[in-house]
Amino acid sequence: MAYHALAAVLLPLLAFVINGFLKGKASGWVSTIAILLSGVLAIIVFNHTFNGGTIHISRLWFTIGDTQLQAGVLLNNLSTILLLLVNLIALPVHIFSMAYMGHDQRYGRYFTCLSLFCFSMLALVVVDNMVLFYAFWELVGFSSYLLIGFWYKKEVAIQANKKAFIMNRIGDVGLLIAILVLYSQYHTFDLIKLFGEGGLISQSYIKDGMWIAPASSIPAVWQYIACVGVFLAVCAKSAQFPLHTWLPDAMEGPTSVSALIHAATMVAAGIFLLGRAFPMFNTSELDVLAIIGCFTAFMAATIALTQNDLKRILAFSTISQLGFMVMAMGINAYASSLFHLVTHAFFKCLLFLVAGVVIHEMQHVKDENHLDIDPQNILYMGGLRKRMPLTFIAAIIGGAALVGLPLTSGYLSKDGILIQAFEWADTKSAVYMTIPIMMIITSLLTAFYIARLIFKVFFGKLRVLDVKPAVLCHISDGGWQYKVPLILLSVCCLFPVFSLNPLLYEHSWVYRAFMSAEHLERMNIYHTIIPVGLNIMVVVVIYYAYAVYVQERKMLPFAQNNWAFDFSYHQWYFNKAYNTLFVKPVLALSGGLFWFDRTIIDGFISLLQNILLWLSKMADVFDRYVIDGFLHLITAIVQYIGNFVRSFQTGRVQYYLLSMLAVIVAWFIFKTLI
Amino acid sequence: MISLTHYLVVSGILFCIGLYVVLVKRNAIQILIGIEMMLNTAILNLVAFGRYDKLNNGGQMFALFAIVLAAATTAVALAIILNVYRRYKTIDPDKVDQLKD
Repeated sequence: MAYHALAAVLLPLLAFVINGFLKGKASGWVSTIAILLSGVLAIIVFNHTFNGGTIHISRLWFTIGDTQLQAGVLLNNLSTILLLLVNLIALPVHIFSMAYMGHDQRYGRYFTCLSLFCFSMLALVVVDNMVLFYAFWELVGFSSYLLIGFWYKKEVAIQANKKAFIMNRIGDVGLLIAILVLYSQYHTFDLIKLFGEGGLISQSYIKDGMWIAPASSIPAVWQYIACVGVFLAVCAKSAQFPLHTWLPDAMEGPTSVSALIHAATMVAAGIFLLGRAFPMFNTSELDVLAIIGCFTAFMAATIALTQNDLKRILAFSTISQLGFMVMAMGINAYASSLFHLVTHAFFKCLLFLVAGVVIHEMQHVKDENHLDIDPQNILYMGGLRKRMPLTFIAAIIGGAALVGLPLTSGYLSKDGILIQAFEWADTKSAVYMTIPIMMIITSLLTAFYIARLIFKVFFGKLRVLDVKPAVLCHISDGGWQYKVPLILLSVCCLFPVFSLNPLLYEHSWVYRAFMSAEHLERMNIYHTIIPVGLNIMVVVVIYYAYAVYVQERKMLPFAQNNWAFDFSYHQWYFNKAYNTLFVKPVLALSGGLFWFDRTIIDGFISLLQNILLWLSKMADVFDRYVIDGFLHLITAIVQYIGNFVRSFQTGRVQYYLLSMLAVIVAWFIFKTLI
Repeated sequence: MISLTHYLVVSGILFCIGLYVVLVKRNAIQILIGIEMMLNTAILNLVAFGRYDKLNNGGQMFALFAIVLAAATTAVALAIILNVYRRYKTIDPDKVDQLKD
């Protein structure tokens, strides 16, 4: 089975390599077929492995000193289900992309990058040691960077991919530190040896300020450093506070990319890492996780309330839902967190593909009529439900799953988290009760913003007509490449896929896979009151949104010009704060360094250069006038002598005789005088 | 009494005249005459110094040889002058200046 999994991982890599040489429209099919085959293999692996224990094969990779590094494949419930999930999400997205990117000039490059991403994500899921994990973690970030900046001629896209990459680097450094700390404590990178049941981490404990492992002990502070490192990595990849600001900007990439990477798979890698490294965290560290997750969920939900960009709303919704998962990890609801990860991947991918179809059609309207509008702005949409019924139904299913209405997958996973949050808070002091209450509020906010989105986009009348009444609108659901993924994902958002009982999350097979059996009985009143109460409130909220946005009654609790609206609309001013706190100082510092380089270092160099120039000029003068002058003098003397002597050579015998006479006479005079 | 000095003075004067003729004259024949004159001053000197060798009369002997040789060289020189004339149609030494090449 491990080799099947390996093949499933390597197929997209093969597609990546082939697409690297291929030109034209074939690359879409290459990638899609690769991911289809990979998906089939993933299903086979899943059938054999799921709930069937752990499969682990490895080969010696290399040896440094006496450290042997093994490379291998690790299949357990977590990796198997994610292997399947990534494939199931990637397949519809590939099909969708073939139409969505069909008119792009760099179609081939898009699929090349997409295959690279799929390969790295699948590999990330199945590798068995921290070193490979880190490598694929980086690759995932890199391919995400490539795809965010796919339209590299857009300045904002370049800014966005730079931001995403830098933010992710912060997390990568954290992960690297955590890996190194773990290695220095346990001398192994193997995931099973570290985090497995009865593994090294479960055997170690903290006592008297020391972190004691079976083989060694180091000061306890390293344990916190490792946890903070992992947490930073999770924050960066899964867009948690304080490193969440890259995800909304990452929406500058193609929508299909947002659907695959920034809604369903890559951002889930952080949760996956938490799932892998879960035994590392002790109770107080888990509390921090819960608080951060809860805060992120709440913050992102409030921001999503006022955004007008279709994809940006969904991005903040993603951050919010990832906050739910992190919080669920923090409250020890490990199974629910991963269950929510799976369900969220489907419904958020569905919502993004819906957004993709809508944006595609709006772009058409814009291009056909030469309008100056933003095709992603929901304020120009409206009334699309009659023009694109299938997309509308898909949006309703996705939205219902996101809100957590009964009969959807979201209901099962989300209510599970909320119930366990209340149970967890019960065991703690009263202050902790704020967390589940915040989560309830967040759920209501979620219901409001997604209802606002759907009502603005699909209900009412098309507001583009307000800009220019004579607009020609050929809006439809699009071809089969649009319809098939939507139908596929819509089906995956419904309860039968996950549980035969639509109301009880405990019956879901995903939940059971991560939970030992004894937790299954319904222990207290929360299991009844929360789903019922929450759903009643949610329906009220949705009706309220309906009244406000469709019937257009003046019921908004606050106007659009007070501080609360601004606070939410400007995304809690995080971008501004980071700009002031980090970006500007760094820019100022680099400006200063640039100045230093330019003025001092370069000045010194140019001073040296001038000195050298001056010296060489001196040498030149010396050479020219002294050395050359001396030589010229010699030649001049020789020439003069030659000329002088030549003047005797007249060819006349009598002159020769006269000269001889003169010489002899001169000789005698000379002898006489001396 | 005529002493050796008188001979030497006469031969010196003759030598100078011969030299002057050689240097100044524009005619190769006259130059040849100048040369002969200088040669004859040398012969005169030989004869004059012959008084110190009365036993063998070496001075007179050498003078005779020199006169014979002078006749020979004069013949050769005349032959050269004839050839020069044939070639250059002149015997003015100023105009025969091919030696400078």
